[in-house]
Amino acid sequence: MNDDVILKTDHLSKSFFKYQVLTDVNYQLKRGQIAAIIGPNGAGKSTFFNLVTGYHAVSGGNVYFRGQEITNWARHKIAKIGLTRAFQVSNIYPKLTTYENVRQSILAQQKRTLNFFTPAERLAKDETLGLLETTGLSGFKNTEAGILSQGDKKKLELALALASKPDLLLLDEPTAGMSSEETHETMELVRRLNKDIGLSILFTEHDISVIFGYAQKLSVLHQGVLVAEGTPEEVRQNKEAQACYLGEEI
Amino acid sequence: MEKKNNLFKKHMLPLVLFVIALILPLVVPEFWVHVFNEILILGLFAAAFNLIFGYMGQLSFGQAAYYGIGAYTTGLLMVKLQWPLFLCLPFSMITAGIGALILGYFCVKLRGIYFAILTMAFGQLVFFIIFQWYSFTGGDNGLQGINPPLWLFKANAYYYFSLTVVTIGMVLLYFITESPFGYTLKAIRDNTERTEFIGINVQRYMLINFVISGMFCGLAGALWGPFNRSVAPDLCSWQHSGHPVFMAVMGGPYHFLGPMIGSVIFTFLNAFVTGFTEYWPLVSGVVMILVVLLMPGGLLGIIKSKGYFSPGNVGDVKNER
Repeated sequence: MNDDVILKTDHLSKSFFKYQVLTDVNYQLKRGQIAAIIGPNGAGKSTFFNLVTGYHAVSGGNVYFRGQEITNWARHKIAKIGLTRAFQVSNIYPKLTTYENVRQSILAQQKRTLNFFTPAERLAKDETLGLLETTGLSGFKNTEAGILSQGDKKKLELALALASKPDLLLLDEPTAGMSSEETHETMELVRRLNKDIGLSILFTEHDISVIFGYAQKLSVLHQGVLVAEGTPEEVRQNKEAQACYLGEEI
Repeated sequence: MEKKNNLFKKHMLPLVLFVIALILPLVVPEFWVHVFNEILILGLFAAAFNLIFGYMGQLSFGQAAYYGIGAYTTGLLMVKLQWPLFLCLPFSMITAGIGALILGYFCVKLRGIYFAILTMAFGQLVFFIIFQWYSFTGGDNGLQGINPPLWLFKANAYYYFSLTVVTIGMVLLYFITESPFGYTLKAIRDNTERTEFIGINVQRYMLINFVISGMFCGLAGALWGPFNRSVAPDLCSWQHSGHPVFMAVMGGPYHFLGPMIGSVIFTFLNAFVTGFTEYWPLVSGVVMILVVLLMPGGLLGIIKSKGYFSPGNVGDVKNER
């Protein structure tokens, strides 16, 4: 397999009982790319993410990360080797403070969670503050995460994923619930991370301006089938892609 | 200066309790010294249980099994092999920990009500083994003649011994709850799914915690035998597993000292009420109902929410950092 390919799926399929949600998806993502998967609701975008990150068991086909097969691995193992995700509905620790949320993920990445006798308060201070700063959450570090606004929860969601120092980051609708200003800030951060540390990013999104503004590669899912792929310009011209968005201008 | 002040505020409650615990036996009759001793031992038991309940968010209804294993280990070693007490205590922690490792291996595969049911079933298993194995455990006769060394024979002496062991145990537990491991438990409680996605093997951490909790339950059990001069199988029964649940809920499962405070309320009431009526379970039931209905966060939960002081907290109400 080509070293440049960070994620590859081979005939990836998923069915829930008799419902086929994803059919024979052959997907490739190059290292260092920002790519998006688009498609109408129910197209199978989240299912694709769920299969790749071990959230759901794969029904057929294989998943490869950096050339290594990871099909049906345990979730924590996939996270440990550098493939992490942020969820569509923010999935945080509501009763811990924002600071403690981020610190937890950093300590897990540093493999320090089996430390029984050093107060957690003393550990990973700089890293935690740094990441809060990067994601624009410094002002809320002592706020209980459960009472953050939707947009800030999504930022925290992103921070938790980033704390794991991934090679590939999967973002499921990263800007849902954010104001247009926050959306812009968040996507700029994603772009900066991609540029500065070469982080590969795969995201799903409904916001057309985000999709065409930030993705270098687009893939269109429709009813569980990959129907079109290419640069944003190519996909814009693609008849099948247009048909999926029936009447919608993309 | 402000930091020092906060630190003082944070540790004021345990310090005050410790000083009271030091002075009380000197001024009360012997009967109450026994009651206070019971408070300490059961308080440690409840605090160990709370690692699973308040911190990890799972209800174990079988911690008495590990308490009982600890009690019987010390009992058997002292009666049959005449081991010195101070050696029996760590050894009891080890045997209880091994028991928790074997049974916990299966329990941590489950969550919620299924976890609770399986811990209870295993608790009953341990109870029946001890209950039936006459040649080794004495069966339903229990074990008698577990005498502490002479210098600990007096009520006050054994009380101060318990106070020392329980204090060391509580300090260790406190450090564990404030460590990255402790925060990982809270993370599992708050959001098990997310914890897996930050790369943590949740089942493994749950098992480690189950073993730690079992070890400290075993330590509490080990203190019980020489205190009571005997052990009986019902130390392992499911009713006895219910005591730490009651205590944690009464005192406040989301505060480190909650279970200990719960033990004070529960044990004190028990001793007080049984002095003039045999209907103690009726009274404890009524108290329990009142606590659950009127102060769902337990006693410390109520006091804390009014902002009086800041007991070591588990993560529901925040200190200023």
